[in-house]
Amino acid sequence: MKRIVFHRLFGVLCLTIMLGMGVMSGVAYAQQSGAVPGNTTGSVNDSEFWRSIRQGGQGLVSIPNKTAGIMIQSEGEEWRSLRNGPLSTYGGYLLALSLGAIVVFFLVRGRIKITGGRTGRAVPRFSQPERWIHWFVASLFILLGLSGLLLMFGRYVIQPIIGKSAWSAVASASLQGHNLLGPMFVVALLIMLGVYMKDNIWQKGDLTWALKGGFLSKGHPPSWKYNLGEKSWYWLLFFAGLAISTSGLLLDFPWLVERVQQLQLAHLVHAGAAVVLIAASLGHIYLGTIGVEGALDGMTYGYVDEKWAEEHHGWWAEEAMKTRGDVIEGAGETMPPEKAPAE
Amino acid sequence: MTFLEIVEGPLWTLASSVFLIGAAWRIFGIIRLGRKKDISIPRASALLGAIKGQFLHFVPHGGFSFRTRYHLIAGYMFHLGLFGLLIYAAPHVLFLKENVVGFEWVALPRWGFILTAEIAFTGLILLWIRRISDPVMIQLSDADDHIGSWLTFLTMLTGCMALQESHDSLRAVHMLFVDIWLIYMPFSRLMHSVTFMFSRGYTGAFFGRRGVVP
Repeated sequence: MKRIVFHRLFGVLCLTIMLGMGVMSGVAYAQQSGAVPGNTTGSVNDSEFWRSIRQGGQGLVSIPNKTAGIMIQSEGEEWRSLRNGPLSTYGGYLLALSLGAIVVFFLVRGRIKITGGRTGRAVPRFSQPERWIHWFVASLFILLGLSGLLLMFGRYVIQPIIGKSAWSAVASASLQGHNLLGPMFVVALLIMLGVYMKDNIWQKGDLTWALKGGFLSKGHPPSWKYNLGEKSWYWLLFFAGLAISTSGLLLDFPWLVERVQQLQLAHLVHAGAAVVLIAASLGHIYLGTIGVEGALDGMTYGYVDEKWAEEHHGWWAEEAMKTRGDVIEGAGETMPPEKAPAE
Repeated sequence: MTFLEIVEGPLWTLASSVFLIGAAWRIFGIIRLGRKKDISIPRASALLGAIKGQFLHFVPHGGFSFRTRYHLIAGYMFHLGLFGLLIYAAPHVLFLKENVVGFEWVALPRWGFILTAEIAFTGLILLWIRRISDPVMIQLSDADDHIGSWLTFLTMLTGCMALQESHDSLRAVHMLFVDIWLIYMPFSRLMHSVTFMFSRGYTGAFFGRRGVVP
């Protein structure tokens, strides 16, 4: 009997010791894996530790870039969703809408010709510095616009055609070109906005031009050097251009900002404003080239036909001819044959 | 053989040979033209005039300083920028060491490269704009001028697009444009990069002999 009792007591003791060791080993394991080394942040278990990281908690790093202490930047997911979602989708719709509107306008209105043909007498419209800065900005705008559109829509349009590997090279090339030419655009844009500002300030009569139908009018409502449509384009360029420039500089020189969220915001502003500006620029390019006969002459040769000036910018033409008397007789003869006055 | 190996190997050899032989041929042609015998009594040294001419033409004549300001500034921006990129861009230093001269020199840091490239691009675009917007330049320019401008622009642009050095294909595209540029050069006005010394020397000697500052 004594022997049986001894054996039972020995068994209970062994079981107690084993269970005790098991529990203790479990506690020791939890402390080793759950606590932050040094136990400096106060995290005591896995879930708190990982929750802190997932919510963008910042740890300590010994390198100069302290933002490297953030392992997961949660706002990045929101930025990615906006960039690949609404921004790309609605941006694409806006560009398609702009192109569609131009096609419809062309089909309805056709090319707006100079009534009765050219007179051969020309009125100076743009000085050489005005033309130089315009074309400089335009050249960079086209290069930056194309590379920017590639970066924004390439993965949906180009990548399925050429494959991921080739697309990677195209994207890298676009990014490098875009980053290099960007700062030049900023400087040139500021100069251009300054050069063209004076004549783009709203004047009495601008609204009349719009109320009489503007571009949609069959006739030619009179306007100053720039009509309300052209002035609207200027001010869109002013505000959207400055937004693109500021955000672009931050993206090009990321050390100017402290937090990566600021770069994400800058990127959304940059891409959004750029899409709006590109969509509007399509209309500007159309009307300045094939849409309106004689419009391009002003920006290439510096002067426009007297008839064109009277038709499209009557008040300006009247003032220019009256105050300066600088209609150039026979200037049209220096233009290429296809632009010579009608016989 | 990969595309990169072709454009950096046999095509590079062909292009540089065409350039060197073509340039030598153009110079030989200029020298062979000779000059009309000048029987006037020299008032000063023609040689000194030729040497002076090399340097005096780096700045425009005083009477034309205002009218030439635009293309003087743009021209210097482009040419100095291009020279800086050609000789001091780090990938170029390495390429020239491995394929041409056998030794290397100090290369531009990355920020220096970017700045130089932006100066060169600004100059080139400004010069091209003058070509398409100045009524006189429009009339003077022909296909050769436009091809030369665009070829130079694309060579520079593809180089900058390969700046990240992450894809061999981008480097190969840049090298392809370099090869085309070198082959085109002897047959075009891009040869002014070599022949400008002869024209300045000739003009300088002509006027120098008459005791006139060229």
